[in-house]
Amino acid sequence: MNQAAALRNRFGALQFQEYALGLVVIALFVTGAILRPDTFPTWDNVRNMLTQASIIGVLAVGMTFVIATSGIDLSVGSMVAAAGVFGGTLVDPSGGTLLFIAGAIGFAVLLGTINATAITLGRVVPFIATLAMLSIARGLALLLNDKLPVGLLDLNGGSYGDPAPFSLLWFGTGKILGIPISVWVFLGIVVGGWVVLNRSRFGRYVVAVGGNREAARIAGVPVRKVIFSVYVLSGLMAGIATVLLCARLGSASPVSGNLYELDAIGAVVIGGTSLAGGRATMVGTFLGVLTFALIFSLMTQLDLSTEIQQVTKGAIVLGAVLIQRPEARY
Amino acid sequence: MNGVAEKPGAGAAATVLEVRGLVKTYPGVEALRGVDFNVRSGEVHCLLGPNGAGKSTLIKCVSGAVEPTAGEILVDGEPLPERDPAAALGRGVATIYQELDLVEDLSVAQNVFLGHEPRRGPLLDLGRMRSDAAALLARLGHEKIDPRLSVRALRPAAQQIVSIARALSYDARVLIMDEPSAILDAGEVETLFEVVRRLTAEGVGVVYISHRLDEIRRIGDRVTVLADGATAAGGIAADTPPDELVRLMVGRKVERLYPERPAGGGETLLEVRDARALPAVRGVSFEVRAGEVLGIGGLVGSGRSELLRLICGLDSREAGEVIVAGRRLAPNRPDRAIAAGLGLAPEDRKSQGLLLDWDLTKNITLADLGRFSRGLLDVRGEREAARAQLRALNTVPDDPGRRARELSGGNQQKVVLSRWLLRECRVLLLDEPTRGVDIPSKAEIYRIVTELAGRGLGVVLVSSELEELAGICTRVLVMREGELVAEVDGEKATERELLSHAVVPTTGPDLIEEVA
Repeated sequence: MNQAAALRNRFGALQFQEYALGLVVIALFVTGAILRPDTFPTWDNVRNMLTQASIIGVLAVGMTFVIATSGIDLSVGSMVAAAGVFGGTLVDPSGGTLLFIAGAIGFAVLLGTINATAITLGRVVPFIATLAMLSIARGLALLLNDKLPVGLLDLNGGSYGDPAPFSLLWFGTGKILGIPISVWVFLGIVVGGWVVLNRSRFGRYVVAVGGNREAARIAGVPVRKVIFSVYVLSGLMAGIATVLLCARLGSASPVSGNLYELDAIGAVVIGGTSLAGGRATMVGTFLGVLTFALIFSLMTQLDLSTEIQQVTKGAIVLGAVLIQRPEARY
Repeated sequence: MNGVAEKPGAGAAATVLEVRGLVKTYPGVEALRGVDFNVRSGEVHCLLGPNGAGKSTLIKCVSGAVEPTAGEILVDGEPLPERDPAAALGRGVATIYQELDLVEDLSVAQNVFLGHEPRRGPLLDLGRMRSDAAALLARLGHEKIDPRLSVRALRPAAQQIVSIARALSYDARVLIMDEPSAILDAGEVETLFEVVRRLTAEGVGVVYISHRLDEIRRIGDRVTVLADGATAAGGIAADTPPDELVRLMVGRKVERLYPERPAGGGETLLEVRDARALPAVRGVSFEVRAGEVLGIGGLVGSGRSELLRLICGLDSREAGEVIVAGRRLAPNRPDRAIAAGLGLAPEDRKSQGLLLDWDLTKNITLADLGRFSRGLLDVRGEREAARAQLRALNTVPDDPGRRARELSGGNQQKVVLSRWLLRECRVLLLDEPTRGVDIPSKAEIYRIVTELAGRGLGVVLVSSELEELAGICTRVLVMREGELVAEVDGEKATERELLSHAVVPTTGPDLIEEVA
């Protein structure tokens, strides 16, 4: 009995929601297989879904840490656009993959650091600070290359057929063991995120700060450092997502990444991480990302318009928050 | 009204409230198992019992908030309708709960008449409301409270007076007060007692619930002791010796409430020099030695909690030094204070001490994760270390996987102590560690605290219960308006002496606070 309680607790009360969400993922897949038996349950479609999900997925991992501190980062979508265009202008007309990656990630981390500084040193509430960054970063994306996208098709490692390994385009189209590189990157970040969240001092501090900031401070948790770090981390994840997106599209567009913040926040919340902070689950976030991907793939295959998809997306996020609500105690 | 008094008291002591054989069962739990209880006009009848003994259930039945399973509740010999709070109020049975249920943004007068506002035609009669409220407050001796003030501007003690005025506005014949002194400091308790005496002089019967035995002795006429949902002793004299009351409550003899006083006298562990953070702390110097329990007494608002927070680097200090083991602590760095060996058990366990939805393991290891972190956290090691700490302090339950929310107040306090013991802190700073804790658990906390001092820790104990400071401390410092005004040897300290240092010499504490 003691053992059972310990076991239950080791995996946390979140287990139920994670199991339930796992069942939702399976149910959605089965529904798709029944409605579109020829196109939905195919390896091509699954690979496609995962590739599309990987970009939002990377953002959602960073967002999980932010939301666990009871914060929010609304700027990730705009940061993706700005970081892409910044990296693109660095390598245009001449420059390599490495410069692009370093530039894009570096720029996103810089923007994340500005968020972090405004929130911890300036004591601006996260919602407002990142809302401002949403506008600033989008503006920068448009300014940096005169509202024009930057072509990146040259970053193929100088090969004439498939892009050479470790060139930018290879990250978008290459595969290892039949699985796209971007999916590998996403899975690696999810696993890494799980370890940091559940098995590191930093992860424990993150959840403590979100759960009870004052209690955490009295226990010696460096609260401001922790909060600073999660916004920088969110910027880093935006940088990685930028690289995956630009690699897939072969260009960096100033209008890309629109509403990605909603997808990422939605996936995190559906997964069971509490918007009030103090409760976070990386498995839930992973399943939340898959749920979103399945729903929109299914809707696309059923020929439902993007407008309907957008309404659905908002409704799902609202519903997920409403479901969470009774558990929160005020 | 016929006198059913068991013995003739002063004047015509008619029984106003009588409870006979009250039973209340919840699914799987027998909260009350046949309780008998009566209140006479003009007496203060204390209700005593450990947490979970059924006190709250009893008053909820009487006030009509819950429906009893069996038994009778009579007011003036007539049965009270069950599960009807309005009827209970209408018959003059009013209850003041521990959490005051005032609407903070409404005025004093509006709160007093909330739900039964005087009207003139369809409109509120604001003038009468104000003058009637003022009259009620004057009856309580608090005409200084302005009925037009918003309740938010009042201190808790004054808010309590407003609650009592509200009860009186229903022509209360029986007033039930659930732990009214829990939120008050020693001076304010005196004010409350004065109000209670006025009420009893008018013939109101008062039911007074408290965990503080000294208060019962001072204000009570009779005591009913509840234990495990039954009456362990009904209507015995309030001057029954405390040891006897404790024995009745726990069904066995608690050896002693206060253990052997630690001798102190070791090397200096913590030194505070002229610490200042205006307006709360105005230049405080003292030192804590190994092996002592140093008490800091004073009224609520005298700056005690602020002093502890300043020492731990939680709030900034304007001047002064905090020296631990010969090293000066940087201000505003709680992490460094902890590294130097300080540990704070804050005033409010629930909102500052614990992460209530976390399990006990994580709560205990939070201040000492470095010990378990070798790149990754050793979660199994954490759990075993937490279990060892919980067992060492006899925490119930000692399963480290339980959530902190599920524990009683006394056991939650032990979890906070476990955290600092795991961290091997040298100086423990305890802010009101026994607030809201029942008497057997208090005795246990006292025992733990003195044992820790015996092991060479320095313990600083801040408390509003002056009796407890006089009971276990090696030395007691008294704080008043941000300054230390007295140091008293623990052996010689008495509650009365400490109180005389704590209150401002000239006038009593003014209950009305400036609106911020």
